[in-house]
Amino acid sequence: MSNAAAMFRSAALTALRGAAAILIAAALWEGVVVLGNIKPYYLPRLSDIVMSIIAVPDAYITGFFRTMSETLLGFAMGVVVGVANGVLFKHSRTLRELIFPLFVISQTIPVIAFGAVVVLWFGNTILAKALIAFYLTFFPVTVNTLNGMDAVDQRQVDLLRSFGATRWQLLFRLQLPAALPQIFVALRLACTLSLLGAIAGEWFGDTTGLGVLLLQAMYNEQVIALWAAILMSGLLGTSFYGLVALAERRVVFWRSEL
Amino acid sequence: MNLNRLRPSRATSRALMGLAGVAILWEASARVFDLPAYVLPSVSSILAAIVDQRTSLGNAAAMTLMEAIGGFCLGSAGGMLLAVILTMLPATRRVLLPTATALNSVPVVAYAPLILLWFGIGPESKVIMVALAVGFTVFLHALAGLDRVDQRAVDLMRSFGADRAAILWRLRVPAAIPLTAAGMRVSTVRSMIVAIVTEMLGATGGLGWTIYQAVLQIDFVQVWSAIFVASAASLIFFGTINFLEKRYVFWK
Repeated sequence: MSNAAAMFRSAALTALRGAAAILIAAALWEGVVVLGNIKPYYLPRLSDIVMSIIAVPDAYITGFFRTMSETLLGFAMGVVVGVANGVLFKHSRTLRELIFPLFVISQTIPVIAFGAVVVLWFGNTILAKALIAFYLTFFPVTVNTLNGMDAVDQRQVDLLRSFGATRWQLLFRLQLPAALPQIFVALRLACTLSLLGAIAGEWFGDTTGLGVLLLQAMYNEQVIALWAAILMSGLLGTSFYGLVALAERRVVFWRSEL
Repeated sequence: MNLNRLRPSRATSRALMGLAGVAILWEASARVFDLPAYVLPSVSSILAAIVDQRTSLGNAAAMTLMEAIGGFCLGSAGGMLLAVILTMLPATRRVLLPTATALNSVPVVAYAPLILLWFGIGPESKVIMVALAVGFTVFLHALAGLDRVDQRAVDLMRSFGADRAAILWRLRVPAAIPLTAAGMRVSTVRSMIVAIVTEMLGATGGLGWTIYQAVLQIDFVQVWSAIFVASAASLIFFGTINFLEKRYVFWK
């Protein structure tokens, strides 16, 4: 299949270009700090930050994986519940009108304030943090699932119905696939939001995680450790976002303007 | 005068019904199961606490709102300016766009400790944090809007001798405004949340600070009243921007 080969080649090219951009950015960072004689308090050298991670990698690695599991769990729950809500609201206008405004209001509640209560309810568990991540992610997924399903051409629905398609067939053969591009837009947003929820959730007295590392570094005024934690969060955020974007390109292959 | 206009629409009345349903369910479960306040205080006790402490909560809300609005304006202006620069000088795009995307991939709360170290625990650090969060969103929306024009329209204007500035002002900006406004609308609620999150890490006042103090004192009625006030303030902020958008971006 030459199509797959071309796709692989373009993906490899993108990855290569990304790696080159990262190298250039790293060199720029290092160069600006050294040449500009910038105090480490404002911007430490990139090499110092990387060295400090390599010197004691344990805390960063466990923190990375802890925050990652919280993020992924919250993200998965948010996607499942969000898509289910979208389908439900599509089928029942009453439910949509009763519950949807509540969802809108729920999104104005500052999640971190809610975080204090959630940690109190569920203890300092992975589940508590995942719930905060979930709380941030389910809403955009719901909205975009609903919008995507609403945008399906009514004539296509009528056509499938005239051939005797059941509700389930209509849902899985037409409405959900047609909504996929919209759903993926929400998923890309959701991966940033779920990470945000996981990190902020760790600020309520957890002992491991990237959020904890951020707080500890701030209280001890260790600028290099702070930057190290920011870099690790960025690494987690970028890889997660990249994976979702890759999945989007594979699944929603028919959408040209990606 | 059309009387129908005064009657709440079907959607509004349904929304109010849903809200009332949740409030009743909440109140009932708090009373029937006799839940302690740290698990779930009743709605009535939260509302009573809000009325009781209206001055201090009002002051805190005013402070947080000022920080959120200040950061919102600063971030919106910065985001739009950056998007225009990128459009006017295509050469800067290849450098600035990846940089902005990379900075944006770090969740914005991760920068909060750093901004607090740099700018102190006063309102400045909150305004900067909000501006960062809002700026990225508005920038990406504005850039997408500026890019969204029909290439044939650009070519047509160029063939009549329009320079880049004229094309930007006459064609790209009107095309970009609806999308930019949408970006600003979704940023309103987030700007309140970011202000509150940053206040929780260190502040001299505001809703986030109130919530944090209340958590430390295990006063969960106070936590919930601050949450209610914050939610109401966000809704008002969102409603105002939404109203302005509907009024002035009429060609959407």
